[in-house]
Parts: sequence; C-alpha cells; structure tokens
Amino acid sequence: MAPVPDPNNVGGGAKRDEATTKVPSKDPKKKDDKKEEDLSEEDLELKQNLELYVERVQDPNPELQKAALESMRQEIRASTSSMTSVPKPLKFLRPHYGTLKEFHKNMVESDLKKLLADILSVLALTMSAEGERESLGYRLTGSGGDIGSWGHEYVRNLAGEIAEEYTMRQSEEASVDDLMDLVKQIVAFHMKHNAETEAVDLLMDVEDLDLLLQHVDRANFRRTCNYLTSSAKYLPGPDDMLVLDIAYMIYMKFEEHPNALQVALFLDNMQYVKQVFTSCTDLLKKKQFCYMISRHGITFELDPEMVADKDDRDILQDIVNNTKLSEGYLTLARDIEVMEAKTPEDIYKAHLLDGRASSGPSVDSARQNLAATFVNAFVNAGFGQDKLMTVPSDAASGSAGNWLFKNKEHGKTSAAASLGMILLWDVDAGLTQLDKYFHSTDNPVLAGALLGVGINNCGIKSDCDPALALLGEYIDNEDSSVRIGAIMGLGIAYAGSQNDQIRSSLSPILNDATAPLDVIAFAALSLGMIYVGSCNEEVAQSIIFALMDRSEAQLGDALTRFLPLGLGLLYLGKQESVEATAEVSKTFNEKIRKYCDMTLLSCAYAGTGNVLKVQDLLAQCGEHLEKGDIHQGPAVLGLAMVAMSEELGLDMAIRSLERVLQYGEQNIRRAVPLALGLLCISNPKVNVMDTLSRLSHDTDSEVAMAAIISLGLIGAGTNNARIAGMLRNLSSYYYKDASLLFCVRIAQGFVHMGKGLLTLSPFHSERLLLSPTALAGIVTLLHACLDMKSIILGKYHYVLYFLVLAMQPRMMLTVDENLKPISVPVRVGQAVDVVGQAGRPKTITGFQTHSTPVLLAAGERAELATDKYIPLSPILEGFIILKENPDYREE
Amino acid sequence: MLTVSVKWQKKVFEGIEIDPTLPAYVFKAQLYDLTGVPPERQKIMVKGGLLKDDADWSAIGVKDGQKLMMMGTADEIVKAPEKAIVFAEDLPEEEQATHLGYSAGLVNLGNTCYMNSTVQCLKSVPELKSALSNYALTGRSNDVDQTSHMLTVATRELFGDLDRSVNAVSPTQFWMTLRKKFPQFSQLQNGMHMQQDAEECWTQLLYTLSQSLKAPTSSEDSDAVKALFGVNLRSRVHCQESGEESSETESVYSLKCHISHEVNHLHEGLKHGLKGELEKTSPALGRTALYLKESLIDSLPRYLTVQFVRFFWKRETNQKAKILRKVDYPLELDIFDLCSEDLRKKLEAPRQKLRDEEGKKLGLQPKSSLKDSDVKMTDAEASSNESGESSTVTQQEGGSSEKGTLHMTGIYDLVSVLTHKGRSADSGHYVAWVKQESGKWIQYDDSHPSLQREEDITKLSGGGDWHMAYIIMYKARFVSM
Repeated sequence: MAPVPDPNNVGGGAKRDEATTKVPSKDPKKKDDKKEEDLSEEDLELKQNLELYVERVQDPNPELQKAALESMRQEIRASTSSMTSVPKPLKFLRPHYGTLKEFHKNMVESDLKKLLADILSVLALTMSAEGERESLGYRLTGSGGDIGSWGHEYVRNLAGEIAEEYTMRQSEEASVDDLMDLVKQIVAFHMKHNAETEAVDLLMDVEDLDLLLQHVDRANFRRTCNYLTSSAKYLPGPDDMLVLDIAYMIYMKFEEHPNALQVALFLDNMQYVKQVFTSCTDLLKKKQFCYMISRHGITFELDPEMVADKDDRDILQDIVNNTKLSEGYLTLARDIEVMEAKTPEDIYKAHLLDGRASSGPSVDSARQNLAATFVNAFVNAGFGQDKLMTVPSDAASGSAGNWLFKNKEHGKTSAAASLGMILLWDVDAGLTQLDKYFHSTDNPVLAGALLGVGINNCGIKSDCDPALALLGEYIDNEDSSVRIGAIMGLGIAYAGSQNDQIRSSLSPILNDATAPLDVIAFAALSLGMIYVGSCNEEVAQSIIFALMDRSEAQLGDALTRFLPLGLGLLYLGKQESVEATAEVSKTFNEKIRKYCDMTLLSCAYAGTGNVLKVQDLLAQCGEHLEKGDIHQGPAVLGLAMVAMSEELGLDMAIRSLERVLQYGEQNIRRAVPLALGLLCISNPKVNVMDTLSRLSHDTDSEVAMAAIISLGLIGAGTNNARIAGMLRNLSSYYYKDASLLFCVRIAQGFVHMGKGLLTLSPFHSERLLLSPTALAGIVTLLHACLDMKSIILGKYHYVLYFLVLAMQPRMMLTVDENLKPISVPVRVGQAVDVVGQAGRPKTITGFQTHSTPVLLAAGERAELATDKYIPLSPILEGFIILKENPDYREE
Repeated sequence: MLTVSVKWQKKVFEGIEIDPTLPAYVFKAQLYDLTGVPPERQKIMVKGGLLKDDADWSAIGVKDGQKLMMMGTADEIVKAPEKAIVFAEDLPEEEQATHLGYSAGLVNLGNTCYMNSTVQCLKSVPELKSALSNYALTGRSNDVDQTSHMLTVATRELFGDLDRSVNAVSPTQFWMTLRKKFPQFSQLQNGMHMQQDAEECWTQLLYTLSQSLKAPTSSEDSDAVKALFGVNLRSRVHCQESGEESSETESVYSLKCHISHEVNHLHEGLKHGLKGELEKTSPALGRTALYLKESLIDSLPRYLTVQFVRFFWKRETNQKAKILRKVDYPLELDIFDLCSEDLRKKLEAPRQKLRDEEGKKLGLQPKSSLKDSDVKMTDAEASSNESGESSTVTQQEGGSSEKGTLHMTGIYDLVSVLTHKGRSADSGHYVAWVKQESGKWIQYDDSHPSLQREEDITKLSGGGDWHMAYIIMYKARFVSM
C-alpha cells in the first residue's frame, strides 16, 4: 500500500510555511501524536468537512446523501492533480474507508450507491490491499462516468488491476465483456494523453491490440508503432508477430508506407509487401520501396498489379535487382576519395613495425601470396580496380608477371575468383574481365572464374541470368574443383532466390553415390543459401537423404558439417517450422546427430532473441564431454546467432560467453571468439576487442586463430585504428607461424574491407531488419572456422568468399527524383533510443554535419540538416530519394 | 524476323535482327561484326542458358524486343608461365631455412645456455666460418693436440648444422668434445651440469680455435683467429717513485670494460680498463713499487670483442658477485682516442674518406645512403672471404700499397651481444643477440630464435634484472681507398 507520507509534504500550497515552521524539529513519533494540532487551518477545515460528508452519507435522507457524495467527489477531483504524494482528501478519508465500504454494502441499488461506488473506487487506490482489486470492483459497480475525471494515477492503477483480473478470468474462463468496456475507455484516455505505451501495455495484457487501431491518430501513431516494434523483440512468439501485425496496420492506416514495408519485411510477409505497393500510388515512393527491398537482399518480382506501367515496372525492377548498386557505391568512393587501389602492403603497413620490416624472403611463399590475394580482394572489393589482378600484364613481364600464377594450385581458384570480388556488383565489367579465365585449361583457374562470376553477381539479379547461364553447364564437370566452383558460385549469386531450375540441377548431386564428399557438401550449402529461410520440403529431404547416406568415415570429415548447415539455413529464423526436420535429425548417425541438432536449433531461432533457446544452448555448453564430440561449437555459435538481434540480449550473451570461456572445454573455447565476432560484427565494441586481443595470444593456436579472425570480423569495414594496430603487432608476433600469420593477414583484409566503406552487419534499417542471406554468409564462414585447419587453412580457403553475401556499403546516399545523386547536408550522430519517450525527442546525439553521401558507423543515425528536401523514407540508410519540399522558403 | 537488343560489356546494341529460320551461328557472326569477338568465344545468355551454335530459335523462345546479354572478349587468353614459379613451401627444408633470413637455435642440454649463446655469437663471424671450413679434417698438425682438433671439427660441424637446419639443433657432439677438452665444464651440482661462465667458454673456445687454425707453417701472422679478434696493445709502464719507464706490447682477444662508480658508458669503461696499477719489483729502487700501466691500441682487429667485467669475487661471501650497474654501449663505436699515435696517423686518411663519403650521401642522395653502405659491407666481406687470410693481414697492418684496398677506420658496428640475466655468473640465463646480414636482430634464446628491434638491443645495458650485456662484439667498418 502507499506509505503514509510525511505531513510536511502534504501541507503544500499556501499553508506550507506555517506547517514547516512548526514541524521540522520534531521526531516522527511526536508528529503522529500531534497530527491534529499540526494541521493548518485550511486542512483542518477540509478534514472536518470530509468527516461531515462521511456522516451525512450515512444519513437516511437521500437528498442529504446525494449532496454529501457530490461534495466529496468535488473535493477529491479538485485535488488529484499530482500523485507525488497522497492527495489530502484521500488521506483524510482513509480512516473512513471501512465505514463507507460497510455502508455501501448495505445500500439498496440506486444511483447513490453507484456514486458511492465511484468514490470508493478512488479511495481504494490507496487503501485496497494488494491483489484485492477493489478499485476495479467498485468501478464496475459504479456509475461508469468519464474515467479520466479521476486523474491519471487512478486510470493507471485501474489498468493494472484490469490486467490482473483479466488473467484470472481467463483461467476461470469467465466473461470479460465488462472489463473490455473499461479497457476501451482507458485506452481512449491514454491515447489522448500521450500515454501510448500504457495503452499498448494494457491491450497486450488483455490480448486485444486491434482496439488500438480505433484510437491512434496522426499525432501519436508514430510513438505507438515505435513502441510496438521495439517491444516485439522482447515478446514470446506468436505475440511478437501479432504486435508487428498491428504496427503494420497502423502504418498502413496513416499511409506511412516505408515503415509499413519495413514491418512487412520483418514479418517476411510478401502479401503485406505487395499490399504496400498496391496501396501506394506515388511512383517515386515505390522507387524508394524498391531500394529498401534491394538492401534487404531478397528476391522480389514486381507484377502488373503493383506497378501498372511496364516501363515503370522495369525501372523499379532494376532497383530491386540492385543493378545500380555498383554505381552508387562508386559515387560514394569518389566522394570520399578512396578510389586509388590499395596493395596488400598498404594494409600490412609493415614499415610501422620497425626493425622487422626489412626485405622479405626472396622467394614467394604460396601461403603469403594467397593471403595477399584475399586481402587485395576484400580491400578493393567493388572498386573495379586493384594493383594485382586487374593490371594489364605488360609484354615485358609476360604471364609470369601475372599475379594469378603467383598462387599455387587451389590458390589459383581464389585468385581468379578475387577478380569477381574486385568487380563486385558490376556485372558487365566483371564478366568481361573474367572471360579470359574461362578459356583456361588449368582447372583451378576455371573453377576460380566460375566462382568469380557467382561473387560478381552476388545480390544482383538480371533477366538474362548470366550466372546461371555460365555456371549451369559446369555443375557436372568431371573435375571436382570446377564443380565446386560452379556450385558455390550459384549458391552465392542466387542466395535467397529459391530458383527451381538450380534446385533441379543441384539436388541430384546430393544423392549421387559417386560424387565426392566435398562436392556434396558444397551442393548442400548452396542449396541452403538459395532456399535460405524458405522451409522448402524437397530441399530438406534431399539434404537429409544425403546425410543418411554418408559413411561413418565421411561423417568424421570436416566438410560434412556443411550438410547440417545447409539444412539449417533452410529454416533460418523460421522458429517452430524447423521442428519436423529436427525430429528427423534425431535418427541420424550419432556422430552427426547432435551437431545437426544444434545447427538446426541455432539457425531456426537466429535473430529472434529467444531467451529459452539461449538457455537451451547454454546448457549444452555446460556439459563436459568425451573427446571427439564437436557439437558444442555450433551451440556456442548458436548462442550468438539467437542473441544477436537486440542490444540487451547481446550484452548478456557477451557476458555468458566470458563465463563459458572460463569453464568450457577446448572445443568450446575455440568457438567463443567466433561467437563474439558474430555478436559484434562490424561493430568494434571495446570490451569485446580486449577479450579477443587477449585470446589472440592464447596458447591453443586454434583459439588464437579464431580470435584473430574475429578481430577482423568485429572491425570489418571500419578501418578501426586500434584493431589495425593489434593485428599489425600480431603479424610480427606470429611472423614465424605461417598459419597464424595467414589468419592475421585475412583479418587485416577484413578490417580494411572496401577501404572502410563496407559493413558485414546483417542488420539494417536501424537494426530492425535482418537480411537472411547476409546472415547465411557469415554463419557459413563461422562454421568453416570451427575447423580452421581442414577448411580455411586447407584447400577450401575460398569459403572466405561467402562473406560477400553480407558485404554492403555502409552509406547514406541521397538521390533526386531522377535517381541522380545529389549532395545535401546531413547530421550524423550516435542514435538515441527514443522508444516510449513523450514529445519529439532528439534521435541523435553528438552529431556532426556532413554532406551526402556519408558513411554510417554501427549505431549511428542520420537526419537531414535542411528543410529543402523531404526524404521519402524515414530511415536514412542506403539509397534515399529526396523530394523537394514545396513549403521550403529560402532564407 | 525478330528484333532483339544485345548488351555487351557496357554497350547495348539495339535492333539486331534475327532470322529464326537460320541457325544461331549466323546471329553470332552478326555479333562478330559488331563487337569483334570471334563466335567461338561469344557466350550469349538467354534466360539462364547459353546459346548453342546450332540452337533452334523457335525452341529457345526468344521474344521480339528481348534483351540478350553477351560475354566474351577478343583478349589474349591467359597462359600459365612457361617456367613454373617456385614457392617457399615447395623448397626442401634446408633451403627454406635460408629464406627465413636467420639460422636455427640450439637445444639446451641442461644448463648449456652459456655455451649456446657463445656459439651463436661466434657463428655470426663469417670469416671464422670460412676459416673453419678451410680447416682440413685430416690435417691435424702435430702441435695441435687431439682434443683441440676434435673441438675444432665439432665447431665446424655445429656451424654447418646450424646453417642447414630449420629446427633447433642439438649440440651434443660439440658439448662432449668441449667437456673433454675443458673438464671444468663438467662440474656437477645435484646431479646436473652446472651453469658456467660464458666468458670462460668464449675465451677457451677462441683460444683452442686459434691454436688449431694456425697454419701449419706456424708463422705468427697466419693465425686466423688472432687476425680476426686479436688486439695489440702497447703499454707504457711507468713508476712514479723512480721515474722508470718501460714499454711492452701484448696481444689480447678482448678489451675489458671495467665498471666502477664513474663508469656510465662503454667508452669510459674501456679507458678505465686500459689503465692499471701494478706492483712489481723496481730494479732501480730494489723493492716492489707501484707502477702505472697505460695501454693504447696498436692494431685493430676486424672484430672487436668487449667484455663487461660484471663479475668479481666477493671475499666476504665467497662467491662471484655481479655488478648490475647500467653501462650504455653504442651501436656504432669509435675507438680512435684509444689508439696509439702511430695507429691514429694511419687511421686519419681513411676516416676523412669515410666522413666525406657520408657527407656526400647525406647531402646528395640521402635516401640511398643505407643501401650503399650495405652493398659496400657485403663487398668487403666477399672480397675478404675470397682473398682469404693474407688479405686480412694486409688490412690489419693498414697496408696502403694497392689502390682500392680496404682500410680500417677505427669505427665499429655492433654485431652481437651476449647477455646474462640473473645475479651470479654461475646461475641465471645467457642469451645471444645477433645481427643478421639482412640487418635484422635475432635473439637466440637456446632453441628459440626471435626477431628483435634494434632499439631494444641498446636496452640490454643493465641496471635492472633484465638481460644485460656481458660480452659484446663489434665489427670494423672499412673504407676503400
């Protein structure tokens, strides 16, 4: 119950001086005794009046009763403004609560009884015992007048009691109609009085969010939806989906199509996406929608219903197909003046490591050259030029001067494919450059060319389907490295497309008894990518059969892990849909059963923040196992995958991982750095950086390797000077260990990815949306890193290219109505969480003003610094179309 | 007749007509005219497939106005280089070692770090290596005893092993012969071989080598070790009481750097070490008197060894105590003022030349100065290695007969440091820090070689519990005239 407040506080207003002069020196006990005398004259009068009313209420004369009740109500209403202390009338009526209650019980049904019930309902606010819900009880028997007239606190209290009552009645299966009437009143009141969060909370409690639709208006729908979308992250399924559904409807109601589209994409509901298009008539806005869809990385086909005109549709489809991504990225690069190609040496910055820099070994090391190939590819990704692969080989040096041949055997695959990465998103130029390798008689080179086409086309779709046309015929090549190149290329180019033609050509490989294991593994992985998050039964069946067909020896192979992973990707983020497949996986050979189980679980709940699943996975990590069990690795990764979606869960996961690190077995310790890398991908948090830096010197070289790779991942595309320095020092610390040095080099390449213009974060649109293909790419790499020695340090280093799926420019590029880039001033600053805040709070802090295009770091947000234009999307990320503001006046 | 547009590279060719009755090859020929890409290298993409030469247009289902995409270039096809590129990983183990830029470490056989570090320091002298390789296995001259011969051979083998191996070498054979020759190194304590003084090992080993590497002709000058390390001192012994004065010469293998309270720098220590007092019978006075001995350097070695006298016998505690005092030493040492008058005269011209050259480099080509001097150094080594012992002798005498010979300048560069860590000579840990030909510094901590920074080398000057220099070796800088 509310505590009896200090009389000092009660005696506010004009009489305060009097009261304080008398009271201060007295100790509390005396205060109680002499309460009577302490009261000011005014208070005393009020008290006597109230006592009189109480007496009169019990008078048999109804007239007197009525007058007394009316006066009492007057008194109470007049003083319910503030709730920092108990209002005086309520306080003075406290001793009489029991009397009035008793009297009310014996009254005959009448208006007066209702009136008294109203008053009792208010009195119960401070008097009723916890859980009695008397306030609600009296309210229901009362006259049911304007609920707001008793003040906010009363309404708030009532809302709480309704929620309790509702759950109770639900369990008793009693009717809730009377409650719902009250709820309607309360919601209406809250929505009018800037208390959207409370209205939403109440409606969530009584499971009737639809009511919200009637009450939102232009003034408060944004705050309401903001609260809805952010609370969805903390709700258990299926409530979260319901909440988002409502948010979508509200946005649609107020024609906030970009936001509606965002929610629709979050729900992965293509029907809703379509609805957004059909209900919007503004072509320019539709273009903006297309930009949003293209950033999300899903395959989306516009139909005449969405856009009637064919030419318009073609333009829009081009945007969805990302055909202009390369152009926009290069605009950004030119604006920031980083077009100049960088060599791996520019990244290693060995001259900063004095004394150790001097002339390297005179003979080429294949391992080091391979590392340089990757560094070169990642650093110059998408720029279309570099200093190793695209330089025209001059006649003097001939083909010996060609970097491609400075790589050994399978290294040539990665080298040839790196050309696809350098020309990323620029399909025309990419295919032209890669053409020369198609005629090579050297199988690894051909494989690299095929893979390069896939990388080059990553995220870009075209009517001609060049990737499928070029790679299709190599799927059944007799050389398995060529096959893998083609299969992996298709997986990357068509990730998320659910292309039936590819399925029909890849599925048979899975069940081909003669196919080598590595081909099968990559086929499963590619199918998983192409059908990511689709829950496609047929693909699942093929992979399951392939897993069942593996011999005992094959199940022990490092590459076998790609089969369960491919299966898991099918259910990425699809939660319960995985259950049937998870059941089937229990029948697998015990060698792979647990691994499969963990992978399926972690993929299905990836990005959901589901606490129960996090606990399940943690429990797995807590076990101390016999040697040879490898399923704890994916469990640790799974922990990160599930928890990565929102900040709180993320921080908790980081702390849990620290514990796991301390007490876990070796195979867990090896996965922890990778999990940390996933949690903070392209977001170098200092505490994680320190942990990884410590682990990078671990005595277990696999832990150190994982930590080094993760250092690269958390700094990916940031050019973070501190991580760059750490890696530089690691490069001299590990200069003798070729494997560790290779990892350091790769990590250095990651940190300077796209010369700092790219991000690997699968989250976008203010961290709300999770791009499934991007996550699939990262998770695949991490699973490969669980057995670094056999995969990345072995001959399958090209799995590093799976990261291309997650590579996106971290830019904000403004374009005008003709989609030509224009430069406008924007403020870029740290994003502030404004959920549940009243009014129009600042959304960024510590901002700087730049002119577009600008780079956005993790946790940063932009806002236009001019009124001259209106952005067509409230989420200022990626491509933003600006419309001139008709109301703008030059000053 | 169908009309399609074809996209090739960044260009779009609009309105190309296709006659559906003709094979696709004809269409390709059309494109050849437009793009110059030969038909066999054209890849035309139609709805997720490639257009075959003999394809039937009706089966493909190309629509009027459709966009096709063509890939292909007329560029030269990349060919693998005729000469396969050799990678470090392909090389046999020995060759890989040479590409690491430094040689392997030595396994500690139980308190043998004193020996390991000595060997590593001495191994860094290429002239010693070549002298050893000339040492005939068979030709044991009569004046060399069996154990010395064996030790010399063992040294030679050990140096060879170190150069060939990538992994740490176990110096078992060498250790056995060393103990055979010098039984004092076999001392046991608690069943373990004791830690020994590296200086003793260094001196004994050099002495043995100098004995065995003496040319059979047994002339003084042909002593290779002496030619490399020997320092001739001319001392003036002076008795203040009687005013007697005499001079004597001696040859030592190392200069001592005495450490007293005034000594903060190597140079001061050396000066201190070259002055001494001794008591001897004065013929004039007929009794023992105090003589002052002042020594000056009369001839310079190619490799100047300096021993920091850090250990002394403490009578009170009956043990060898260590002076922890910090004594700085430079990377570049000039010992001109420790030289005798005669020698100074000889040095003046080369020094002037050196200064001129340096001035020129700094003034005119500041960038290439380092490189140039490196080249010169290697030249110097090459020539000396080829010409063998005789040439080193001429240089040592400061011979000025031929033009283009190399001259001493009195300036020395630090090449190796043997450090001790710990409080007593017979305990603690010895480590060698050796400068490679590439200019890199390597720390040889028994079997673990590791790269070090040059600035860290000068930090081994003592004053704490870190490794501190015990024996350091400088290499002479030559100038050709």
